Formats: sequence, C-alpha cells, structure tokens
Amino acid sequence: MLDAAAPPKKIVEVRDLKMHFPIHAGVFRRRVGEVKAVDGVSFDIHEGETLGLVGESGCGKSTCGRAILRLYDITEGSVVIDGREIGHIPQKELRPLRPRMQMVFQDPQASLDPRMTVAAIIGEPLVEHTGLSRDARLERIYELMDAVGLNRNFANRYPHEFSGGQRQRIGIARALALNPKFIVCDEPIAALDVSIQAQVVNLLEDLQKRLGLTYLFISHDLSMVRHIASRVAVMYLGKVVELAPRDDLYETPLHPYTQALLSAVPDPDPASAEKVKRIILQGDVPSPANPPKGCNFCTRCPRVMPVCHHEEPAFTEVAPGRFVACHLHDGTKIPEAPAAAAADQQGDAT
Amino acid sequence: MNRQDISRNPDDPRLGFRAWLLTDTPSSRLHARCVAFYAGWLKLRSNTMAMVGLGILILLVLVAAFAPWLAPHDPLAQNLAGRLQPPLSESHLLGTDSLGRDILSRLIYGSRITLYIVALVALIAPIAGLLVGTIAGYAGGIVDAILMRITDIFLAFPRLVLALAFVAALGAGIENAVLAISITAWPPYARLARAETLTIRNSDYISAIRLQGAGPIRIITRHIWPLCTSSLIVRVTLDMAGVILAAAGLGFLGLGAQPPSPEWGAMIAEGRRFILDSWWVATMPGLAIFTVSLAFNLLGDGLRDVLDPKEGG
Repeated sequence: MLDAAAPPKKIVEVRDLKMHFPIHAGVFRRRVGEVKAVDGVSFDIHEGETLGLVGESGCGKSTCGRAILRLYDITEGSVVIDGREIGHIPQKELRPLRPRMQMVFQDPQASLDPRMTVAAIIGEPLVEHTGLSRDARLERIYELMDAVGLNRNFANRYPHEFSGGQRQRIGIARALALNPKFIVCDEPIAALDVSIQAQVVNLLEDLQKRLGLTYLFISHDLSMVRHIASRVAVMYLGKVVELAPRDDLYETPLHPYTQALLSAVPDPDPASAEKVKRIILQGDVPSPANPPKGCNFCTRCPRVMPVCHHEEPAFTEVAPGRFVACHLHDGTKIPEAPAAAAADQQGDAT
Repeated sequence: MNRQDISRNPDDPRLGFRAWLLTDTPSSRLHARCVAFYAGWLKLRSNTMAMVGLGILILLVLVAAFAPWLAPHDPLAQNLAGRLQPPLSESHLLGTDSLGRDILSRLIYGSRITLYIVALVALIAPIAGLLVGTIAGYAGGIVDAILMRITDIFLAFPRLVLALAFVAALGAGIENAVLAISITAWPPYARLARAETLTIRNSDYISAIRLQGAGPIRIITRHIWPLCTSSLIVRVTLDMAGVILAAAGLGFLGLGAQPPSPEWGAMIAEGRRFILDSWWVATMPGLAIFTVSLAFNLLGDGLRDVLDPKEGG
C-alpha cells in the first residue's frame, strides 16, 4: 500500500480503549457489574488508508467505532484524532473538532430524521458549523448530492421516498458535508441489497481517492473488507485479537479465531471449496459481562493450551506490521521490538 | 389527469395548484411541506368517518363564530310565562328551560364556552406534557425519576376528582375550570412524550446530529419535538372528548361556568330537576356534548392513521 519512504502520518491513535456499560439491578438500582463491550483496544489508522474492523455480532466493533468518535463517554484509554487527544475532553470542547470526524451508519432508514427533507438533513451540519448564507448552503448541498450521485431534483423529498441505497448516499453526503478527514463506516452496507452494496462500496472508495479520506470500516462481511481495507483488525469479545495488513491476514491468519473466521468465508469455486477445511467453533461466545479468565477465546479455541486459562496473552508484534494476541505466538516476537514497547510502535513498522 | 402526467411537468402553469401540490420534485422546503401536508389530507379525506367528525367540528366553529346571527333569541332573556315549552313549539325549536330561555340559543352560545375550554386545554396540557416528558426522557437518571414520579402522583387520582379539588381550592369559574382540567390532563402527554423521546434519543439520526456537535437543547427543540408532535396531536383529539365531558361534569356540579352562562354541563344540571316531566331541558345539551365528543373521537381516529411518524411525510 503506502510503503513509500516517509512513514504515513497517523491520523487516529487508539490506546487501550475501554468502554464498559454498567449493569444495574435490584430495587435500589445498584451497580452489580458491567458489560465490557470494548476492553482494551489499541490500533492506529494512517492517513488515507482503510482499516477494516471485523468480528462476529456483539463483539464490540460498533461500540468501538462509536466510542472513538465519543458518542459515548469512554471508560478508559486514549483516543488521538488528527493530533488532538479527545478521549476525555467534555462534549463542549469536542464540538469544534466534530467536523474532522464523521460517521456513516448501518441502517440508512434509522439514521435519517423522517421529518426532514434531504436538503435539510445534508445541510444541518452546515447550519451547525458554518455561517454560510442560505444560497451558499444550498449550493454546497447540491455539490454534495452530485458527489454521492443523487439527483438534485430530489433535494426536497423526504427520506421515506428513497430506496435503501439512495438513503445510504444521503447519509454519506451528510457525513461529507464538513470535509472530514476521518469517517467511521459502521457496517454501511449490512442493511443493503447485495447489488446495492457494491455501488455503495465503490462510492466510498471513489470518495476516498478524491478527497483523501481515512476510513475505519466496520463490517462482518469478510469478503467486502478484503476488497476495501488496506489493513484489517479482528475483534473477539471486546478485544482485538489480530491486526495485520490485508493480504497477510487473509493468506496466513495467525490467531486461531481469525483462522476459524476466514474458514467460514464461502468460496465461489466448488473445487477449491472442498479442499478448505472448515474450522467449526464449539459453544457460544461468552457473555461480555463475565468474560473468561485468561484468554477471552480459551473457551472455544481449537488449539487451547493450559496457559490460556489463567494468563491473558499480550497484544504483540510478531512480524513487521502484524500483531496478534495469542500464546501460540509467544516465542515469535520480533527481536528488535521488546514486548512492552511493541504496542506503542505498532504503527511505525507498517 | 393521472399523477404521472402531472409530475412530468411540475412547472406547467396549465396544471395549476393541484399539480403543484402533487409534484415529485418540490422546489423548496416550504413546497415539500405543502406536498406532504396535501398527501396527508388526501389520506384523511378517504376516511369517511373522520370527515364526518371534521365536518361536525367545522360546523361547531362556524356556529360559535356566528352565534349572534344564528341564535333566534337572547340566551339570557327569561320569559317565565313560556317556561318549559316542549321542542317544536312556537318560535322555540328545541323548547325552553325552567326560566323560559330558548334552549337552541343557549346551545349556540354554549358552543363558544365549550370551544374556549377545549382550545385552552388543548394548548396548555400537551405543551406542559411535552416539556416535562422530553426533558425527563432526554436527561434520564435522577431528573427522569423525579419528573416521572410527579407525573405518577397526578395519574393516581381520578381526573374529575382531582379537578374538583383544584376548582374547590381555586374557586369556581370557567378559567379555573380550564386550569384544573389542564392540570389533570398533562400527565398522559408527559408519559407519551417521554416514551417517544426514549426511542428517538437512541436512534441513529440523533447520534448523527450529536456527531455534528449539536447540544441537548438543539436536539430536543429541533428534532425531538417535531417528532413527538404528531402522536401528541392524535392524543389531543382523542382526549378532547374527555375534556368536554370533564368541563361539562364540573359545570354540572356547579364548579365550572356559573349561571346564567349557557354552559352545556350547567344546562344539564338545571334540567335535572325536571327530567321526568320535561326531558328536553337536559337531553338537548346532552346531545350536543355527545355529538361534539363523538366528532373529536372520529377525527382523532382518522388522524392517527395519517400522522404515523414512521410513515414519514
């Protein structure tokens, strides 16, 4: 990808991000525990790249995306976007920074206010952050509609008059309105027809090329992530278990969970499909309110070892740019990066 | 003319106002709103019963507006010689009451009082409920708990009993009756608004707006209120029958409008003494209350079908 001489600039740095939701129970609503939706996630995203974030339902990928944009008040950890630490600053101070980071949502129907016209929806961020006059705003709205391939004549229609793909285009136009640098795409294609998915993904790629956007692309569609992402992070039960450049990850997955996940991707060629051995995981995902001791994956791992049940594996760099959290790879740390410093240096090596 | 032909040339002046209202490509936000409103109106128009209700209410408003010209007699003029005349008697279409006042004229003037009460309650109660409900729903936590427990206290009393207590404390009279009815009417609106707010605040479009940096006041006023209003409007129209009955009930108990004011509930109260010999004195205002309550209910049912926010428009 971007392995030119100068190391690409990090636009997002997430360190040890934790997002725990309290559980209240009983008559007095006492706090009896917490759901560890995101539990210590660290990664970097470089300018102009797409980081794919994959994992099964409920593993915390969407929460992670929302926590990075501070839709939640995060429990612990730090988030640096475009050089500014935003992990714990109040929403008021966050407001002027909002234009830099936006989000495209999963359900295009639910992410558009049913009482507002398309022009009002796309124009709202402009009202919020710019002092544009009415006409200048309308001009910008038309520009954005052109950019995402919407007919200008539809500017004064309501969202319910559009198809799913068109609605997602409206959502993308809204996200683009303030010229953001970083966009979290929270399963932007999961609610769309397969034929429309390709259109929307192509639109996202096209916009990335034209506007130099950086994406965090959250999805459970491994084939789509393979298509769009330059690097891929795999999440399981609130933690990133593996992070690697796309081709490495898809060709030689290191973590047993990644291996199982990739073995589930259907192969269009029946001849080669027969050769692939499906790794079928036993049991269910443990509750994030009560994760297992040791490695989170130890209850279902096909290659579980005694050490997995009491010691949590560190998230270490085992090859340049490849990170994995698994005891199987304890011995394969790259020598020049000591384990403790590995997490901090992960971005530089790619 | 079918819709396709029209939408092809939305600017064609020959097609006129209706085409302008039916276009697929509105030219401005106001235009879009008109189009949406007209679509809703077309939907409502196809509901016969709702149109009957609307017709009765329009008639009521017209009657109230033109009462001095419509009423055959002065509603307060007494004529003890012609007291308790039956309906269809000479110059008294609906008969006269115990003081010889023309019942039809009193009903016509009474519609003004009814509309006055209905309009004021329809303004005060939903707005108070909307404020309390959206603040409770959006703020959550301790604010929500306090506001909702207050609401529960109000809901724990039967409406008329609570209104009676307030009127007794504030003193009899039509303004106090309005106030008392509003005080007892707002809690259901607060509950409704809170429930709507809870679903809306967690939706993705509110997340999107928060991502743009909008504060809670902007979110509540610009996004949550408009989405709550349609269900509140439906609730108001369905509630109006209850308000009319409560006002009539207060009047009947002598705590609402005071004699000789021709309030419908008070008229029934007066007729109660003669109900066995002169049935019309109590029946005519009763029929008026019944008709108007029914009209509000019919319209409310129709509006509920049209104003479902999930349908959009």
